[in-house]
Amino acid sequence: MLPRVRDLVEVLYREVPSGVGSKGRMRLGPDDERKLLVKGAAWAVENGLGEPADIERTESGGRIEGADPSLISEKAYERGRAQQGTLGSGNHFLEIQYVDEIYDEAAAQSLGLFADQVTVMIHTGSRGFGHQVCTDFLEVMERAAAKYGIALYDRELACAPVKSPEAKDYLAAMRAAANYAWANRQCIMHWTREAFMKVMSSSPRGLGMSLIYDVAHNIAKVEEHIVAGQKRRLMVHRKGATRAFPPGHPELPQPYRQTGQPVLIPGDMGRASFVLLGTEKAMEETFGSTCHGAGRLLSRHQAIRKAKGRKIWKELEEKGIIVRSAGRETLAEEMSEAYKDISAVVDVVHRAGISRKVARLRPLGVVKG
Amino acid sequence: MKRYEAVDISGDAGVRAFGKSAGELFANAALGMCSLIADPETVRPEERLEISLRRGSLGGLLVAWLNELIFLFDARGFLARDITAAVSPSPGGGEDFFLTASVSGEHFDPERHRGKLLLKAATYHRLKVEQKEDFWTAEVIFDI
Repeated sequence: MLPRVRDLVEVLYREVPSGVGSKGRMRLGPDDERKLLVKGAAWAVENGLGEPADIERTESGGRIEGADPSLISEKAYERGRAQQGTLGSGNHFLEIQYVDEIYDEAAAQSLGLFADQVTVMIHTGSRGFGHQVCTDFLEVMERAAAKYGIALYDRELACAPVKSPEAKDYLAAMRAAANYAWANRQCIMHWTREAFMKVMSSSPRGLGMSLIYDVAHNIAKVEEHIVAGQKRRLMVHRKGATRAFPPGHPELPQPYRQTGQPVLIPGDMGRASFVLLGTEKAMEETFGSTCHGAGRLLSRHQAIRKAKGRKIWKELEEKGIIVRSAGRETLAEEMSEAYKDISAVVDVVHRAGISRKVARLRPLGVVKG
Repeated sequence: MKRYEAVDISGDAGVRAFGKSAGELFANAALGMCSLIADPETVRPEERLEISLRRGSLGGLLVAWLNELIFLFDARGFLARDITAAVSPSPGGGEDFFLTASVSGEHFDPERHRGKLLLKAATYHRLKVEQKEDFWTAEVIFDI
């Protein structure tokens, strides 16, 4: 496997469009565009981009109910059209990794993870489509806040009562964006499998490339939680947070009912990423949530200054990590020193009990936008 | 006079722009934002677009204007090079502000343009539009 990482990174970089100004390779008609927004990852699988088993291991089956394509602006459609099937830029990535440490043998086994196994992690979302939905509705919500007499601490946190028509419309549009993101990751995962097939001359089944889990990192969902001893239906918005549901939660698919929900925590491209499991304590203390990633330590300019005169790609190669990036500055902005140490961050959530460590993944090959 | 400068902020990116009028300020803020997306030196003024917008506040108008240009780049690959803009109270009266702008630029070509930052949106976070006599300053943070 190791001698093929360079070839794999090259093929993945070619097959999965990334970077500023990149265009996707999909061309959908208006009918399919709308179907994708309602069906999410299932749309991709129905169109030959993946397997039904993928859906089972995707949060909410890769589709959140209640998306309404008629509430999406023409601008969002246009922005999304060019970018469906693209990775993006900044902290978005596609990484070939390997399992370098197992913390819980039984849990790892139930997730299908073992030492030295090669894995792939994909970090991307709803792209320009979701950003345009946000831009469009921020104006609606700002007016709504004034209408309902809500004093805003920050205009960026514009809001409306959950049952108001404005909020209902926003949620139906946001759900379409979430479905767009699930479809996007499903497509990229499919092309990743194709790239592996090409380079390794094998079938995905021969390679054992099955999905472990796909989890949203920025979404608002209606969930049941216990508040002051009472079961309540709440709107939980996770931004910079990841869902971490415990064993036995009815939302979890059959393969993970006993183990709890797999939680994927990306670190930085030079150090590590983690697979964790959700816990009961997360339900009690953090509305079933844990951390999102490492979090930045340096601003972009600080990182670029620190990287000046250095060849980040070469430093990574010396550590055995092959990296390919569309933007020259991306590597400087995204270098390890720009981020907190993910191992320390994950130790905090592990010790706090809001998720528990299963495996550490080390990068071998990185595609950045 | 300096037209714009980058604002360094952890996790995001920003621009501080200056102008002798609100129109100049809006044009410079847009040019500053475009310099975050691609190197302005490499962009040719090959195509011209006319944009007009109306919003209830100057800050809201600035954010909407920058988001319009982000949309044009993200959806159509259009990069701005030269911009002239005029900002005035709405012609129909009332409290709205009105922008008319002429934007020259070209479509992104990965062979010739070096893509820098992918901006998701201009935000209201720490948004500032200030006028001291005939000198205008604005600060906008972008979600990246």
